[in-house]
Amino acid sequence: MWIKLAFKLFAREFRRGELSIIFAAIALAVLTVFSLSSVTQRIGLNIEQKTSDFIAADRRLSSNHPIEPHILAKGAEFGLETAKMLFFDSMLFANEELILGSIKAVSPEYPLRGEVTLKDNLNGVPYEVRGGPKKGNVWLSEGLFYSLGLKVGDQVELGAGNFTVSKVLVNEPDAPFFSLAGNRRVLLSYDDIAATQAVQPGSRVFHRLLFAGQEQQLSDYYAWLKPQLKANQSWQGIKDRQSPLGNNLARAERFLLLAGLFGIMLAAVAMAVSAKRYCERQYDPVAMMKTLGGSRQVIRNIYLLHLSLVTGFSILVGLLLGFVLQHIGAAYLAKFMGTDLPVAGVRPWLLSVFIGIVCALMFSLKPLLDLFDIPPLRVLRRSLGDKLALSRIHIGLSLLTIFLLMWMFSEQLLTTLILFGSTLLVIAVLFGISRLVFSAGRKLGLSPGSSWSLAIATLQKRANANAVQLISFALAIKLMLFLVVLKNDMISDWQTQVPADAPNMFLINIGQSEVQPLDDFFEQNSITHEAFFPVFNARVDAVNGEELARRISRQEGEEKADSEREGVNREPNLTWLTELPEGNEITQGKWFDNNSQSDRIEVSVFDGWQERLDLELGDEISFLVNEQRFDAVVTSFRSVDWGTLKPNFVMILSPNMAGKVPVTYFSAAKLDNSHTKAISSLLQRYPTISMIDIKSRLEQAQSIIAQVSLAIGFVLAIVLISGALVLVSQVQASLAERMQEVVILRTLGARGRLIKLATLYEFLLLGAIAGLVAALVSDVTLLVIQQQLFDVDGKMHPYVWVLGPAVGAGFVALIGYFMVSNTMRQNTQGLLRKLG
Amino acid sequence: MSVLSQLNIINVTGLTKSVNTLEGELTILSDINFSVKSGESVAIVGASGSGKSTLLSLLAGLDVASKGDICLDGEQLSELNEEARAQLRAKKVGFVFQSFMLVQSLTALENVMLPAELAGDSNAKQQALSLLEKVGLSHRLEHYPSQLSGGEQQRVAIARAFIGSPKILFADEPSANLDSKNGHLVEKLLFDLNKQNGTTLILVTHDEHLAKQCDRIIHIEAGKLETIRNGEAAYVD
Repeated sequence: MWIKLAFKLFAREFRRGELSIIFAAIALAVLTVFSLSSVTQRIGLNIEQKTSDFIAADRRLSSNHPIEPHILAKGAEFGLETAKMLFFDSMLFANEELILGSIKAVSPEYPLRGEVTLKDNLNGVPYEVRGGPKKGNVWLSEGLFYSLGLKVGDQVELGAGNFTVSKVLVNEPDAPFFSLAGNRRVLLSYDDIAATQAVQPGSRVFHRLLFAGQEQQLSDYYAWLKPQLKANQSWQGIKDRQSPLGNNLARAERFLLLAGLFGIMLAAVAMAVSAKRYCERQYDPVAMMKTLGGSRQVIRNIYLLHLSLVTGFSILVGLLLGFVLQHIGAAYLAKFMGTDLPVAGVRPWLLSVFIGIVCALMFSLKPLLDLFDIPPLRVLRRSLGDKLALSRIHIGLSLLTIFLLMWMFSEQLLTTLILFGSTLLVIAVLFGISRLVFSAGRKLGLSPGSSWSLAIATLQKRANANAVQLISFALAIKLMLFLVVLKNDMISDWQTQVPADAPNMFLINIGQSEVQPLDDFFEQNSITHEAFFPVFNARVDAVNGEELARRISRQEGEEKADSEREGVNREPNLTWLTELPEGNEITQGKWFDNNSQSDRIEVSVFDGWQERLDLELGDEISFLVNEQRFDAVVTSFRSVDWGTLKPNFVMILSPNMAGKVPVTYFSAAKLDNSHTKAISSLLQRYPTISMIDIKSRLEQAQSIIAQVSLAIGFVLAIVLISGALVLVSQVQASLAERMQEVVILRTLGARGRLIKLATLYEFLLLGAIAGLVAALVSDVTLLVIQQQLFDVDGKMHPYVWVLGPAVGAGFVALIGYFMVSNTMRQNTQGLLRKLG
Repeated sequence: MSVLSQLNIINVTGLTKSVNTLEGELTILSDINFSVKSGESVAIVGASGSGKSTLLSLLAGLDVASKGDICLDGEQLSELNEEARAQLRAKKVGFVFQSFMLVQSLTALENVMLPAELAGDSNAKQQALSLLEKVGLSHRLEHYPSQLSGGEQQRVAIARAFIGSPKILFADEPSANLDSKNGHLVEKLLFDLNKQNGTTLILVTHDEHLAKQCDRIIHIEAGKLETIRNGEAAYVD
């Protein structure tokens, strides 16, 4: 019998809109989690796939010692695709010209991700292929064709072997962003290594294994591999690679994660408030039912069935809306990206259903228990049971649930703690402020009958309810502001990293006499360019008289720093500079004194090398340039941001090095198609200058950043909608109380204008206070988050302090005013009856 | 009236109700003793704050006494827990309240059916239809409380009170929220149905005119039973 009654009550409550807020809150939580997790997962998978291209694999294992064959074989056993590579330098000889080439020998499976770009001849159209050269063939980069006077089909000697030059190598997926050896690249079949006889015991070579496969297979394999990794072997994925892309990707992921957390938090706030509100509204019916003989058991069954029905129904609707939303979003993104997004899998479904159920249970548990405890005596003593509404257990349980949900979703304790802590701070500050403001208004002595005094009086009267409302408003505004500012900061940071006018062409091998004409050429053609860096190769021979080779083998940790790219480079490119380059920071010692008259040559060393070579300030490094030897004293160590697209140097010498060694110069310029003709005539005039085109790589990086920005924009929009819904649901939830006040005021003869203005001012005040606190707290939290999670220097955003209160006041007042105006349109008698 | 029906349906002995306040213990009712015969109508009168509503809540088992006992149709309320008291109410008690206390989300018909449905009565609808006809609201069956006037809402509440043929009906200021015309209509209905059903009526009011229509009037003053006197109905009978 109770089931029939329960369904009837449910249908009526639902139709009356009593359950709409709780329904909307659960649906919102499910929708937010589903759409965010599936869109971010789909975008993430796509980006990961795309960015895997950048290392030509999903993971790679690198070492400057041979890697045991069973390591590769085991990869295949785990179901992974594998490929092997070997890097070494060797002389190329053709047409009486001899040049040192940078050789990459690859097995036929290379590349596992991405494509190799080739041209059939120097003037051909570039196209993409999967795979490397066939046995007996080599692919050479354009620079080598010019240097050796080759054309496709010619023979070239590489080490002891003879090979046919079959293609022009334009680009490889895993080519470094910036490498001075960029124009001397050779791609060779792995099977031809022996034929070159260039790799002998003791040769400087660099080994790399590539792996690709499902994430689970990769992690299973890594679990097997990890215990046997040697100090000189390093395991990397795209995110480990220090590049603008890797860093930005990691930041974008963290942003999406944060946005997801905020979505959950907003939905949770809406759920906690609406569950409590719904239960409070059921106090009278429950008291009545108990009075009329309804047993506790029956009442419990009725309301638990209501909860199950509303939860099930709202989860279904949330999933449906979420599915449609993510489908539209993904379709739009796919169109923009020009590629289909991978399917997200079951995680978003399971996660969102689980979160929906947890939200429904945890946030309504305490209010429901309170509801079951409502004494029947309430039918006579109307206020009985009201004190239950301010349950600390409910607040505690809700906070705990929010914390656990955030932790579960993010799997990051620190992020969760920072966000949760800042949220508690908002709550604490707002409670203080609401007490202060609501009691201060009393002392202002505003004239009775004015809209302002009525607004203040209303605020004071409902101090507790307002504090709750204020907190919800502030949380929603805080989260929205936080994401907007973070998004702006992040995207502007990226734009700084890869600015629109970033150089897309490196010019190397510029002779001393060619600097001025080249500078003039840039000037005449209005080409923006970097300064001319003097560059020379020197062999690091010894430190404090001890031979470098011995010193390195003494070191246990032979792990290769990413910055060194391929292999141990004991012949780094050196330069001298007067100013510390952008993206570098002195970590120890002092930068060169440009006014120094001393003859002593100083060197500033990348701090990654400090440990590696066991260097200390004051150590003397001996360099060999050809047969010429010079010593330099280490006077500083620098951290280097290898993520920038600017040239970076491991060692920088003091400016007094000028004139002591023969150098070439290096520069970078931003060129477009209109410069092609002029450039080719320039190169004809100065044939020794080599150009490295990084346009395609730059465009690739910019395109991925654009995709990530778009994804963030999409996610932000969802969170903003969630935030707006929280605000709407809050105002809606307080309508019943407002209705009562409107009735009283109108019965007492208050003019409609007075009531409307009072409502407007009340919401303006609430919104402005909430907005101000939200702005302050979000800015402080942002500072912490940026430093702790995003590894960037945080900064304050004064505009947010104005934006917060303004948006808060405007938004809250607008929603509140319209909703209350709607109430006002009904006549007093109608309202009275509605109040029952 | 049969001898059996003349037996006491309510026996109140040494009833005391105290509550703890910030200022210490406050006694709301002190040593109340009286009994009510089956089918009798009794008005409890007194000034505001005298304790008459507290007495009603104790009699109906909505609250528990601090001392003393109430025997309701042979059952000692002090020996029953809340669940058992709810069951007792479901079987034997009906209510009419000053503020009607209708469930806003249910129609007039459904509100009347509610107690019978909670008690698992399968004949709830027929009973409710019949009662609503008796109170003159058969044309308002599908109306929600917000669509009914105050008088109509109280008539629905009266119909609800009589569903399941309760032995005892508790009414708390049933006409206090109504205008005099509707108030009289509701009072007449209450007494007529009470008579027809042979129900015992316990009525809390400070309307002397209404109280006089009962068999007996119990006067409460500052938590103490001052007088018990006969009403006009006693003389009519």
